[in-house]
Amino acid sequence: MSHSPIRAYLRPNGSWGLRNHVLVLPLHSALSSSARAIEDACPGAVAITHDWSGEVDGDLQRIIRILAGFASNPNNFATIFLSLGSANEEEIIAQAENLGLANVVHLSLPHIGSTKLLIDVGIREASDLLVRAHEQIRIEAPWSAIVLGLECGGSDALSGITANPALGVASDRLVELGAMSVLGETTEILGAEHLLAARAITQDIGQRIIETVARYEKSINYEGIDLRGAQPSRGNIEGGLSTLEEKSLGAAKKAGNAQLSGVLEYAEIPPARGLYFMDTPGHDIEQLTGYAAGHINIVVFTTGRGTPTGSAIMPVIKVATNSPMAMKLSDLIDLDAGSIADGMETLAEVGTRIFDEIIRIANGCETKAEISGNHEFALSRMYKTIVSYDA
Amino acid sequence: MTSNGFDHGKRGIGVRNHQLILPSVVCSTHISRRIASAVGALSFSHQHGCGIIGADVAGIEDFFGALANHPNVSSCLIVSLGCETIQGQELGARLASANVSTKYQIIQDSGGVEATVSAGILAARHLQESYPPVKAAFGNITVGIDLCRESAQIAELIAGLSEVGVETIVARQGKSSAENFSQLMLAKAHVILSFPSPDQPASGFPLIPVINVASESSLHQGIVADFDLAHESTIEATISRIMEVADAQATIAEMNGTGEILAPRLVRST
Repeated sequence: MSHSPIRAYLRPNGSWGLRNHVLVLPLHSALSSSARAIEDACPGAVAITHDWSGEVDGDLQRIIRILAGFASNPNNFATIFLSLGSANEEEIIAQAENLGLANVVHLSLPHIGSTKLLIDVGIREASDLLVRAHEQIRIEAPWSAIVLGLECGGSDALSGITANPALGVASDRLVELGAMSVLGETTEILGAEHLLAARAITQDIGQRIIETVARYEKSINYEGIDLRGAQPSRGNIEGGLSTLEEKSLGAAKKAGNAQLSGVLEYAEIPPARGLYFMDTPGHDIEQLTGYAAGHINIVVFTTGRGTPTGSAIMPVIKVATNSPMAMKLSDLIDLDAGSIADGMETLAEVGTRIFDEIIRIANGCETKAEISGNHEFALSRMYKTIVSYDA
Repeated sequence: MTSNGFDHGKRGIGVRNHQLILPSVVCSTHISRRIASAVGALSFSHQHGCGIIGADVAGIEDFFGALANHPNVSSCLIVSLGCETIQGQELGARLASANVSTKYQIIQDSGGVEATVSAGILAARHLQESYPPVKAAFGNITVGIDLCRESAQIAELIAGLSEVGVETIVARQGKSSAENFSQLMLAKAHVILSFPSPDQPASGFPLIPVINVASESSLHQGIVADFDLAHESTIEATISRIMEVADAQATIAEMNGTGEILAPRLVRST
């Protein structure tokens, strides 16, 4: 195995962070604005906001796992939890600690007494943690420090020809060196699942990927709705994609040709080196949330239409499938793979550029989304958030 | 009756003069917020607009349309990515044709993040100049009541409000205050009076001032400073607070900037 050029932050549980964030995480939607106020007052701190109000329904365990996993991502030096002090919130914090989060600050609104005071205390705590975070240093890390998430969004007719297979080249090389790489978006392997199953290291894993896709389609069809109403999206169709199957065949190319080592549930952490598939929605932001909660620490996101998408805690490298878009939207694209279609570069050459960019960004250089501060968040739910439209 | 209303043309008369920067999709929420903070407008985060299917496509479009056309809104700039399921361009065009003080900006057509932010700031400022505040007295405020817990005073309160010419709408079916707020927004409530569940905090809603009434629960008693009205406030005190808020006094949720939106969703995302 070649010597790794990666330098990263070693966490007490042995995992590696490629960033060193102080995250402010509200455990109730009504605390979201407080989290944002703390983020605004403390340059360097990051916050997310969400719309979960502690509802106890079919999604409870999923949401607990998402928030606990997100909080404990190795890219976080510390997480400040804002809570109401409920048992479910305590459970999220406990799970985050079990998943390796070393620096925890828990600010409970009823203990502090008011939202105004909560923000004041939060700013003080975040400032202290930022000082401690700055004392951390990067050290030499193995290839396994890279846990790469593969994503595509706003795909077009070139996605499956340029950016996706070039990303596959980079992913294969990282997997071979000992890193982890995770493909997601169950929606977007629908129709290509048999190809992935054939690459599974065991027959069981191959079977599981087939079952995961079937389970997914069934969960959509329960109200008589056809998934193809959202997939391919209208943007995809305008970009030249004809069917979901065509989109899937191109989307799966992000995972190169490596063998498939396992299938992960949404927000599950990959156990060892290799290529994995995670059961996520195709919704870009919900997928990113699942990746972050599954402790992925860097993402490459291929796009045909262009998107500003970023994550609060993971660097997201944007690769354009076509050069006109890369030029037009240059402040949100990190790398242009359109040169493959123009015959200017080979897949292998662009794959190498993506590989080099992953290392550069892993070592601390900022992505376009990090520079613009662009980060969004979405909880992935399986159940309805309202009683009905007629309530 | 209050004389501090704002004439918002087709939207009606509002108790606030909010410019709304409305992201048509989760991907444009961050850019919308940057535009809003540069021009003193309101924006909010949400996770919708893409990957939605079935009844939710029309449901979310109607919901966004109702936000853009709420009486407390002076003007609205829709910020779209361009390739989402809810095509921002179409939503924008439709809402803009329904109301001239609505415009839209598309990231994929605007040349990237900074270009969209700059163009959005210009467009929002232009809207502010074109639609300056027009004061208007008005006689029929609608108060939405979020009843996530029972209140013995409610019938008497509604009667009292009716006597002073205030219409009321009650939302009690929602699983949470957030869901009831959305219903009350759709019904164009100008002000919301919220009775949160004993285990839920005070909360707010962008665009609509929310007056929170405490219960005697230990959570509420632990954070009384977050509530506008104490447990067992008199009917008179409650009505007087509603009038003050309608007349421009900020609620505690407004002062704290508290206010998230729960957009409706019936089907899992794809």
